[in-house]
Amino acid sequence: MKITDKKTKTVLVVGGGVAGMSAALDLAGSGHRVHLVESGYDLGGQVAKLDKFYPTDHCAFCPLWTEIRRCKESPAISIHKNGRVETLENTSGGYRAVITQSTPVIDPELCICCGRCESACPKGVARPIWEHAYPPVYLIDRDRCGDCRACVDACPTKAIGFDREEEKAELAVDEVIWSAGFTEVSLEPLKEYGWGTHPDILTSLEFEAWKAESGENRGAILRRSNRAVPRSIAFIQCAGARDLRLLPHCSAVCCMHALKQAQWVKRRNPDVHCAILYTDLRTVGRDYHEYAMRDFGGNGVRLVRGRPSLIYPLPGGDGIAVKFEDTSTQKREIWKFDMVILNGNLKPALSSLPGATASPELDAEGFVARTATSCGFVMEPADVTESAIQASSAALRSITDKN
Amino acid sequence: MAKTGVILCNCFGEIGKVIDLHSLKKRIENDPAVDSVTIVESLCLPGDAAKTHSLMLERGIGKVVLGACSPFGKMEFVKLGLEKEGADVRSVRTVDLREGCAWVHGKDAEGATRKAANQLDMEIGLLQIMRDSKDIAIRVQQEALVIGAGPAGLSAAAGLARLGFKTHLVDRGSAPGGILNMITKTYPADEPGPEKIRSLVEETGRNPLIRFYAKTKVSAVKGYAGDFKISLAGPGGNAALRVGAVVLATGARILFPQGQFGYGKVKNVITQMEMERRFATGTAGCKTAVFVQCVGARNGERPYCSTICCPLSLKNAMRVMDENAGAKAYVLHRDIMTPGSVLEAYYRKALQKGVQFIRFDADRPPEVRGFDQVSGVEVFDTISGVNRFIETDLLVLSTPFIPDPDAAALARMLNIPVDRYGFYAEVYPIHPVETRNDGIFISGTARWPVSSDQAIAQGEAAAVKAASFLGRERVSALTMSRVPGGKLGHAFADAAACTGCGNCVAVCPYEACRLQRTGNRSVSRVIKVRCKACGGCVAVCPNGAMQVPEQNYRAVGEMIRRAFREVR
Repeated sequence: MKITDKKTKTVLVVGGGVAGMSAALDLAGSGHRVHLVESGYDLGGQVAKLDKFYPTDHCAFCPLWTEIRRCKESPAISIHKNGRVETLENTSGGYRAVITQSTPVIDPELCICCGRCESACPKGVARPIWEHAYPPVYLIDRDRCGDCRACVDACPTKAIGFDREEEKAELAVDEVIWSAGFTEVSLEPLKEYGWGTHPDILTSLEFEAWKAESGENRGAILRRSNRAVPRSIAFIQCAGARDLRLLPHCSAVCCMHALKQAQWVKRRNPDVHCAILYTDLRTVGRDYHEYAMRDFGGNGVRLVRGRPSLIYPLPGGDGIAVKFEDTSTQKREIWKFDMVILNGNLKPALSSLPGATASPELDAEGFVARTATSCGFVMEPADVTESAIQASSAALRSITDKN
Repeated sequence: MAKTGVILCNCFGEIGKVIDLHSLKKRIENDPAVDSVTIVESLCLPGDAAKTHSLMLERGIGKVVLGACSPFGKMEFVKLGLEKEGADVRSVRTVDLREGCAWVHGKDAEGATRKAANQLDMEIGLLQIMRDSKDIAIRVQQEALVIGAGPAGLSAAAGLARLGFKTHLVDRGSAPGGILNMITKTYPADEPGPEKIRSLVEETGRNPLIRFYAKTKVSAVKGYAGDFKISLAGPGGNAALRVGAVVLATGARILFPQGQFGYGKVKNVITQMEMERRFATGTAGCKTAVFVQCVGARNGERPYCSTICCPLSLKNAMRVMDENAGAKAYVLHRDIMTPGSVLEAYYRKALQKGVQFIRFDADRPPEVRGFDQVSGVEVFDTISGVNRFIETDLLVLSTPFIPDPDAAALARMLNIPVDRYGFYAEVYPIHPVETRNDGIFISGTARWPVSSDQAIAQGEAAAVKAASFLGRERVSALTMSRVPGGKLGHAFADAAACTGCGNCVAVCPYEACRLQRTGNRSVSRVIKVRCKACGGCVAVCPNGAMQVPEQNYRAVGEMIRRAFREVR
């Protein structure tokens, strides 16, 4: 019996990042139908928003591009953007899911990316989704929108509609795969990191967008406070992670992420001093440790073993002080940096569904328990490679019965 | 011969505001090859594909040049829409008039129009000369071969069989299980190794779709994706198989630390595998056990982290404490590699249990004390900054996975690349079990050091990828590639012009070019299924015998000629 002879299953995949797309493509490739629910404007998840990709140092979007196109071109995959699973109930032999989805203010089907809404908008809230998006489309930031509707008249294709209703759809599916990825956790409770006290203290994802070649600074390495070139940048690892007060887990991707960012800072401006303050340098994966041991050019990136006890902006805008013990010299140090990048505060992006009988069981840290099929960061902190492997494995498990 | 038409998109003025589309139309419609030029307002909005297709039918134009936006704008979707309408998009070419002409040359309307005319002219010229590659369809053999019956191979075979494919599972050993057979407990669940894969061993043994070949090796591979011809050499003699896909799960070896830390000379300096054997035979008794991490790893020769050694030491350190009342366990490490939530929790468990962790520097490794029998270890503890002496009667060295010596030969046979150490290399990190060679998938420690859980997941991943490939049953050479829109075409060797020099054979990374004896001479022949249309052979052929019909020499020459002529 071939897969093509078997009953076609319909699988609900929750999350359209690397994990969700990989699972969806494998399911479609094996002759099954997929409903892919993505909470964002477009597929791609967190990786689509990254500037660069480790360990290849390629633009992060390129490898994703093919996957996004394949998902969009597959007749077996229905994509629900701006989507959310509202309820999920067990039925005999499967699930009944109610999902909501909405067309954004600017309908991507109609947007030709001409930019006339951007010119018309007095508040500057119409902008491309992100410059890598494919196909490129604009979006309107409703939170800052003044509701003047000047863009509506400016749009030549009548793509802009402010009063679109959220659509609800009821789906009967055989299986569910959870692949909602990760989200940043506020570091507000951990006062010592100084998050929110100064514009030059950023989380690593904020910094990734800030330094992106496709971002507003066109790849220039600048301070966020005054747009001056920083003299030094500190990358603080395990900020919020491996910390029983906030996230007990290790987020797994941050060591390589910091190494990548430090390297790109060095590539673009070798004069910027970079230091990575780490606890354990977790470089587990093909070419990862070699990546860490590279000479980053110039005077290199300093790898310092230590975890800061206090990060505070110095008065008069004179940089940011980082107080820590260098555990390899046992000395208490206070170093001054122009920028501080906080790395590690990632948690699985899934909360239990209100009123759902088939909500996935989550463990104390928010990861999907192994009783449900999941892949990517909601299952276990994972990089792109691990996510893709788990996704294919989840796809197989969802369409076969282990006997 | 189909007529050529040009369709120019105004993009609601985005193009027309700079480029004079009517003048552009006049300039190109004089070309004798052009049947008609039509200006439309848009090509990408809902309903436009149907309109464009009916325009093509109405005018009888089969070859179309679309002058519109960038291929990174909407053009790929426009072509997809046309394809859905039933158009043959191989003869649809696109020219970027918006981003590439109107937008970047907004201040030079005449220049932009000139550039647009030249680009359209080039594509019109190409369409007259380009030919479609002759495609072939092959029947995909509905069977798979899995090489290696450790955790990865077993789960791959089980997965393929669950998906309904007959699977041949080959192992050079006498029984399935691989290294895991020697592991008495696995982390983090503390399950005996053989127990962990028992259900897979039973399933693969029971499933009539799986045939297990013990003590068997692959001796030769011929053919290509969809139809590999495999020769096996086993105790029962040779066997021949025809399979559509191959999953490699050949495992890895573990480094023997000969000469390091007194290994081989000083008693009770052992490897993790020997420690496992002691647990299995009940001879793991000790007062103190010291585990040394990164022995032969993360150094100059092997700068990689072997993934499993840290959690392995956590497990064995805890086990020593559990099985020997009052025993102490130390882990001497450089970084504790327990990424994620499960392993990090395992690390916390070991800390709570009282396993002691001492961090040393790669430049100052621990030193063994004791002559015939280990008596202690001296280590510079980088965290307290002091030299410490640990009295111990057991020293366990954590050594990394290294590639299996047979892996390189198999990789050559299957034409897949290995990384700088000899582990099988994937095509890209986002496609971790796929290789450069279609139809060949990699998994487990032969790919990269992984735990048994990861290996099982990779086996499943390889199974579902292989099954997606096999499930197509018939596949054409042009659609084999996973890239949307298929590949450009495939190379073709003109037997009359070929002198059989073999340059193409030497450069082809996919082993798609072969020299074949015809009469009294050798000529090149392209295996279409393998060819990825990279053009390497075209570049090195001294006689112009190698061509990709879609962009042959004459067509490219014509494009160049048209690029520099004035289009009025």
